Order: sequence, then structure tokens, then C-alpha cells
Amino acid sequence: MTSLDWTVLGVYLIGITAFGIWAGRGNQRMDDFFLAGRNMRWWAVGLSVMATQISAITFISTTGQAYVDGMRFLVVYFGLPIAMVLLCLTLVPFFYRARVFTAYEYLERRFDSRTRSLTSLLFQLQRGLSMGVTLYAPSLVLSVILGLSEATTILLMGGTTIGYVIYGGNKSVIWTDVVQMAIIWFGIFLCLGVAITQLPAGFSLRDSLALAQSTGRLRVMNTSTDLTAPYTLWSGLIAGTFLMLSYFGCDQSQVQRYLSGASLTQSRLSLLFNAFLKVPMQFLILLTGVLVFVFYHFHAPPLLWNAAELRRLERATPPAELARVRGDFEAAHAARTAAAERFAREREAPGGDSARSAYLESQRAFDAARGEVVAALRRAGGPADYNDTNYIFPSYILAHLPSGLAGLVIAVIFAAAMSTLSGEFNSLATATMVDFYQRFVKTDASDAHYLFASRVATALWGGFACVIALQAGRLGSAIEVVNRFGSYFYGSILGVFALAALTPKASARGAFYGLFVGMAAVAATSAFTRIHFLWYNVVGAVSVFAAGLLISAFSAAEPERREA
Amino acid sequence: MAPREPEDDPVPIFGSWTNIYVAVIACELLSLALIALFSSWRF
Repeated sequence: MTSLDWTVLGVYLIGITAFGIWAGRGNQRMDDFFLAGRNMRWWAVGLSVMATQISAITFISTTGQAYVDGMRFLVVYFGLPIAMVLLCLTLVPFFYRARVFTAYEYLERRFDSRTRSLTSLLFQLQRGLSMGVTLYAPSLVLSVILGLSEATTILLMGGTTIGYVIYGGNKSVIWTDVVQMAIIWFGIFLCLGVAITQLPAGFSLRDSLALAQSTGRLRVMNTSTDLTAPYTLWSGLIAGTFLMLSYFGCDQSQVQRYLSGASLTQSRLSLLFNAFLKVPMQFLILLTGVLVFVFYHFHAPPLLWNAAELRRLERATPPAELARVRGDFEAAHAARTAAAERFAREREAPGGDSARSAYLESQRAFDAARGEVVAALRRAGGPADYNDTNYIFPSYILAHLPSGLAGLVIAVIFAAAMSTLSGEFNSLATATMVDFYQRFVKTDASDAHYLFASRVATALWGGFACVIALQAGRLGSAIEVVNRFGSYFYGSILGVFALAALTPKASARGAFYGLFVGMAAVAATSAFTRIHFLWYNVVGAVSVFAAGLLISAFSAAEPERREA
Repeated sequence: MAPREPEDDPVPIFGSWTNIYVAVIACELLSLALIALFSSWRF
């Protein structure tokens, strides 16, 4: 990073904090603090919904994944527009007209108090811990890339976000999300434009796409019906719809965004805005990753993308061995460059297939040479499961973007992390305050007291995220367990909401015990089958719905509780 | 099912919410078709 890059990043951090505090002024009641006075326009809420979903690790990981594996990850978003329409038809009108603060509050009106408490608790447990990962993962990458300590990047991201969310609540979250989303969109087009303009002379965009296509990286549509296959068209359309229904319909970090709309129409439009833009946006991000893959045919990639592990390799490997793996790697890269140039020249000429075969052979040889480097790293004491996919895009930015623009794109990564964190801090504080504190701790207090307590809850959740992120290196396997546990109930909670919204026959008992049946069904699916994880949401939601209806039908009649 | 109540705002575009939802799904189908075309096009 040059001094200009650091200046750009510093201006962003100071500017966004100041803007967040300015935008969030004037909060008087919890309604203002948590729902921005229910007065926001659709485009602001829609950008906030989008910004909350796109985290930093999505941004750097998706481009890295496209580099390594291609664009097939795009199918995960195919269900999003369908989910948005279904939510606009079902849950959004319920939430909005019930004037609730949290999605789980609605479950008490429809079922009972314990169903609300359980679902809210599960949300806070899972989201609270995963928030630590949301903060830790980009901090780790940026610390290596920027040469800062992990603690510094964690505190820079977490501390600035906590600062403006404590003061301004949801108004700050939404307005900073709008700015951050504008920066992110600008960053996406900038990176795409730079990747295209940096292709070598005589090598067109069409040649680049042809090269990527020959390696299978442009393949998106896999029509396999195998449930164990990752990222098929059907898993995207069906399981992806369930995933998006769970995330946008039952996760408070998203529900709270559109509950801030000035009217039901504004809330619906904010979701439909995302339905239009999300797939094209992910397409552009993945395409950028693919073009970075082509770019590194003509520029020397590092032996390893993770600079810290590269230093370890260079320090701990005997010089002769290091020279050998480096020589093999560089020779394989040179051969691949030559094969790619030949491919571009001859691919449309008679005998073009031979150029294509030669290129693919050179790509395999390059992959093998890189495999040798990774094996040498393991012998040098590196991690057995070394994976540097997340380091590819930030490394590219710093090495090849002009001074100033590199700082701006690093600011984009910060923006993506902070926009997700701000929504999570705010939604967790809301669930704690509305679903627990107001019901069990202080049931009748002044607006000033609740506003103060809401700020304390925001600070505590923000501090908790920082602590988890700071300890994440040591808590690695524990966090994985928690995230796996979270995947068990994500679809199951959707099943409870489906019971609430779609059938008057479901009882509180059916919903409560059905939730446990759904979680057990997902746990069993995970333990005893190889079904791809995207389908877990379908298993959970369908199991809860079926079990809930059965339990309701067979249990003793209980008083029917319907929405007020 | 969702309570049937009058909308709180006029329908912003396309005359009815049903038409808006149809437009969203039509755009989704168009996106899928374009992505399928991109994916299988011989560049």
C-alpha cells in the first residue's frame, strides 16, 4: 500500500464514521433507534438489505472461488427473486401490519411466548457467534495483505462500526449501508474494468472468455439431479429459494431492514429491488474473478497467495528444494503463457483443437507445479489444510491496481464487512431488548431508559463480536461446530414461520416441538447422507411443517391464538 | 394467509402487485436464459 492508498482508506474510515453519526442523529424512542422511525424509502432500505447480505468474505471469497473453480457458485442466488416474491405475498404483510420490532414477536401473537423466546434465542446464539467469524475472516486476510496485526484490523472494522451504530441505531445502519453499497458497486465496476484493460495487447476479452471457458470456469448451468452434487441448477432454484426465504424472512438482521420502510409498499419494493439486482451483481463479481484468472496467465503469480505462509516457506525450506519448486513453478507458468497465446491465435483456425488441448495440458502442469509448492509448504511446517483462495483477490488489488485505486478497493472490502456487521449489531440488540429485556427484565420503563439500554446492548454485542474475532484462531473448531449447528435450525425456523403464515390448523405445541423434529432431521441428514448442504434448509423447513401439522392434529386441543 | 386489507400506498407501477410479481419472475427467467446462453456460447 502506498501512502495515497492509506490516505484513501483513512478518509473512508473517518468519513463513514462521521457520516453514520450525522445520519443517526435525533433518536428519541426505541422505534427510532431500531426501526429508523419506520420512515425509510424503498431504495435506501433495498440498498441496506443488499449491503447487509454482501459481507467482506463474500466479496473476496467469491472472486477467489471464481478464479479457482469458476462461476457455478452463481446458482446459489437463482432462488432469490422467487423468495422475494413469496415473502412479499406472505410474511412481509404480516410483519408490517402487526407493527412488530422482531420477526419472532409475530410468533408469540400467532403461537405462544415460548416459541418466540426459543426462535429469538436460536437467532441470537447463531448470529452472535457467526458475527465473530464475519469479522475475523476478512480481518485475517487484510492483516496479512496490509502487514497489520489481526487485532488492529479487527478493532478498525469492529470499533468504527460499533461507534456509529451505538449512536445512530438503524438510521445510521441504513444510511451508511447506502453509501457503502455505492462504494461496493463502484469497486465492482472498477475491478472489472481494470481486469479487462490489463489484458495483454492482441488478447481480446473474447479470447479471455474462450480461455476461461476451455477450463470449465464459465459453466454455470449443471442440470444434474444428484442431491449430493454441489451447485446444480435445481439446488439453486429449489434449495436456494428455501435458503433465501430463511435468510430474508426469518433472520432478524434482514427483517429489521425492511420493517424500517415507510409503508408496506416501500418494504415490498425494497425486497423486489434486490430481486432484480442480486443475480447480475453476483455475476459481475464472479466474472471479475474469472478475468483475474486469465490476467495471471500473463503476469507472474506469487508461489503462494498468502504472504505470511510464503515467508514461512522461504524461511524453512532448504535452498536447493526451494529453488527447485520455484523453478518448476516459473517454468510451468511460462509454458502456460505460451500455450494461452497459441490458443488465442489458433483457436478458430483449422486444428484449433490441438491448441486447446495443449493449453489444457499446460494448465494441468501448472496446477501440478503449484501442488508441489503447497506440498513443500507442508513439509516446512505449514498447515495441512492450506487454502489461500481468499487471498487471491486482495493480492491482485495491491499488486496491480494503480496507487489510490488499490486503497479504494481495500476500502470496498472494509465497507462490505462493516455494512454486514452494522446490521447484525443492530438486529441482535433489537432481539435482546424486545424479545427478552422488555419482557423479563424491565417491563415498564421510560423511552429514555430503553434507548440507553438499547445502546448498551449494541455495545455489548459489538464487543462480543470483537472478542470472538480476537479469539477465533484458538476457537476454530468450536466456531465450526456452532456454524454447523446453525445450519441445522436455519431451515427449521422457516418451517415454524410457514406453519404460522400458511395454515390456521397449526398449534403452538405443533410449532414448538416441530422445530426440534426439524433440527433432528437436518442433523440426521448431515450425519448419515452426503446430500449437499444447500438442501438442509429444504429438509428442515419441510420436516418442521409436516411434523408441526401432525403434532397439532394429534395433540390435545388448545386455544387457538391468531394474529391480533 | 395474509390478511386482505387495502394497500397503504398506491401500486407504484404496472397497475397491480400481481403484475409486478409477474415482471420479477419474467426478469428471473430472462436472467437464467441469458446466463445459460453465456455459459454455453462458443466464444
